[in-house]
Order: sequence, then structure tokens, then C-alpha cells
Amino acid sequence: MKRFIAGLSLGALLVTGFAFAQQNDPVDLSMDREPSVLSIKQPTVFF
Amino acid sequence: MIELGSYIKLQRTKQEMTQGELAHGIVSLSYLSKIENLKTEASPEIIQALCTRLGIQIDNSLESTIQEKCKEWYGMLFEVNDKEEITSKFKEIQSLMDSNLTESLLLFEIHKIRYYLILGEFDKALNKINELNEISGTFDNLHLYYWYKFRGNYNSVTAEYNPAMHMYRLAEDKLNRIELEGQEIADTEYAISVTHSKLRNTLEAIDYAKKALDTFMKHYNFVRCAQCHNILGISYRRIKMYDKAIKNFNLALHLGKLNNNKQLIQLTNQNLGHLYSTKGEAKEAIKYFQEVINDEEVHLVERVAAVASLVREYYNVYNFEETKKAIKYGFELLDQFKNIQQYKIFDYVLHTYDYLLREEHTKFENLVIKEFIPFLEKNKDFANVIIYADLLAKHFEKQYKYKDATKYYKVANFAYEQITNI
Repeated sequence: MKRFIAGLSLGALLVTGFAFAQQNDPVDLSMDREPSVLSIKQPTVFF
Repeated sequence: MIELGSYIKLQRTKQEMTQGELAHGIVSLSYLSKIENLKTEASPEIIQALCTRLGIQIDNSLESTIQEKCKEWYGMLFEVNDKEEITSKFKEIQSLMDSNLTESLLLFEIHKIRYYLILGEFDKALNKINELNEISGTFDNLHLYYWYKFRGNYNSVTAEYNPAMHMYRLAEDKLNRIELEGQEIADTEYAISVTHSKLRNTLEAIDYAKKALDTFMKHYNFVRCAQCHNILGISYRRIKMYDKAIKNFNLALHLGKLNNNKQLIQLTNQNLGHLYSTKGEAKEAIKYFQEVINDEEVHLVERVAAVASLVREYYNVYNFEETKKAIKYGFELLDQFKNIQQYKIFDYVLHTYDYLLREEHTKFENLVIKEFIPFLEKNKDFANVIIYADLLAKHFEKQYKYKDATKYYKVANFAYEQITNI
């Protein structure tokens, strides 16, 4: 039981810590699409 | 003056001739080796004999013609051009190179790295790098500049951004020792800004994109300007300067439309979608992702990327009906890829949300734990590790599996530390 409570507390702590970090820092959670370092005219129709 | 030894070695290996075959009856094998490695200077008679055996004229009357043609071709590798045009010009120059002794040879050979990269023939580019590596000790500063830069380009396209940055830095160091046109320098600055952006060095990405943009603006190079505005937009979004980010994306859109460059327009729409997604404005985000998806002229991979973003967006606002539709459409698009391995990430995204919606818990857990997260970690895609480890942890929480939830919040936390370099 003690171990369960300890595990639960640690989990809650991590969840809070992670949520806090997300709220306060500019975490980048998206897939950005940088343009290529190469330039080439692509075919108009891809498939 | 061209290093004759390097030239002879290049031509010999290109013709798949052994040193013995070339040297036979002209010089000893060890002497040819010395000539090729620039350890000795051979007499004009010996050079003449070796070139004759290789089928090359020593007459340099075509030198200026070759130089002009090379200059034109090099320019084509930096501008937006048809692959066919570039290839046809390449073949023309190659045939001149094969039968004439020219000072332009080494630079031409180095530019082949970029040429193969543009054609998407990465193996050939790597072979060329390995081949030239043997004679790189004889390169002058101009050769070295392109040698480092194109090796950086190779690392960029194979997604090895730290080695790419190292190469670009070496190329940049050569800039004050050679004279180059402004747009060539700007192209290198642009490559550095893209690489900083990939490495999430946001302020450096802004700095280099601004430098490159300044030059491209002076030359009215709209496509390159739009590319720089995209980097600036991404960077400003990352530091939450949303107004500046939107302004840059809108400028990119405007320039893309002026040039009727669909790829650039939809790349910008995708980035605008992400911007609104991170701002929590799902409706706007969905609008931009839909624009990319509906444009059939844009590359399939860009459309699939937009579908994957759209799936996440709909799921996050609990619109499960639209999520299902988007997943179905995503699978239809994925079916059109010949090589699915290259686009595995999108396959994982679609399956992840598909299993979640169908409440197939075991399949969902197995996929994310055993395949998707290891795949993302292997590719150092920590931003997506955060997303999917977090999704998994929340799923375990709902199932009252707190120990598992803790484990995956920890995974997400670790990935977060990798991004912020704590």
C-alpha cells in the first residue's frame, strides 16, 4: 500500500512538473516545415 | 593552374583504368603514383603521353568556353530550374571535360555533389564525396569553400544537422579568403539559418535568415526571400512573437503567389496552421491545413503532413467524426506512396489516432510503445516524442495505470529536456 501511495505521489509530482514546464516555457510541440536548402522547380503534378 | 596529377587521377578513375594500364610503356607505376599525388612534377612530354592515352587534348583553346558554360551551370544549381535543363547542360559540359584538359575540372567535380543532391541521387553524391576526399588535400580556398558547403548540403538532406552545421562553419570561414557574389554568400547564410532552425537555435536562425534576406531582397530573388520569411516565421513562433511570425508568413505567402510557386505557398500555409495550432486557435489552424490538403498540385508528402496535423487538431478539440474522416483520407493518400518506409512517421500518426478512436487499447499501446516512440527517439524527433509519450501517459491515466502513466510522463519530460537543453 505504501509503495502504491509513493508511486501515486511521484506520478502526480511528475504530471504537475511537466504541466508547469509546458505552461511556462516555449516548448515546441509542432512539426514545422522548414524550406529545403536546395532549390529546384518541381513538376506541377506530383502523381 | 590546374593540378595535373589530380586531373590525371580523376580521369583515370573515371575511365576505370588501373595505374598499371595508364603507366604501361610511359612511366613506372611508382612514378605515376607520385604524379597523381602531386609528389613530383612530370615533364610536358610525359603529361602529353598520359593525356593521349586517356584521350584528352592538352590544347586549351576551349578554356574560356568551358568556363562560361560551367558558370552558367553552377548558377542553375542555385536557382529554381527544371531538372531536365540542368541535366542537359551537365551532359554538355561533361563531354567537353572528358576530352579537354581544363582548369575548371576540380570545381566542376565538386559541384557534382550539389547536382546529385538536387536530382535526389544521394548515393551518387556520397560516392562523389568519397572519391573527391582522396584529392581534397590539393584543393585551394575556392575549392574548399564549395567542398565544405556541399558536404554540408549532403548532411542537411540526410537530416544530420550537427555535421551539416560543422561543414557550413568551415565553408563560412573560407569566405574572407575568396571573392564571391553576394547571392552565393547569401545562399550559404540561408543554409546556415535553416540548419540552426532544425537544431532549434532560434536566435541564430533569425540572425542568418535576416542576413540572407537582406541580400536576396536587393536582387529581387522572391523565392529565396519567401524561404527566409518562412524561417523567420517559424523562429518567431518558437519564441512566441506571434505577430512577427504571422507578418513573415504573410510576406512569404505574398511572394509565393507573385511567383506562382505552389510548393512555397502550401509550405507557408502548413506553418501558419501550426502557428494557430500552438496558439490554441483550432479553427484557424484547420483552415490552413485544409488549404494544403485541397491543393492537388502540391507534393503528396506535404498533403499527408497536413492530414496528420489535421487529425491531431480535430482529436484535440474532440471532433471525433472529422478525425475519423481525416484518418481515412490520410490512409488513402499514403497508399499512393511507392516507398512507405520514407514516410513511416505519417503511417504511425494515423494508426495511433485510429486505434485510439476505435478504443483498441492493446494495439494502441503496442504501436506507440514498441514502434512509434523508439522510431522518434532514433530520429531525435523529441518534439513528437513529447506529444506521443504525453498522449500515451494520459491514456494510461484514464485506465488507472498510474505506474505506466508515470513512466511515459518521464519519457516526455526527458524529451522536453533535450529540446530545451536543460
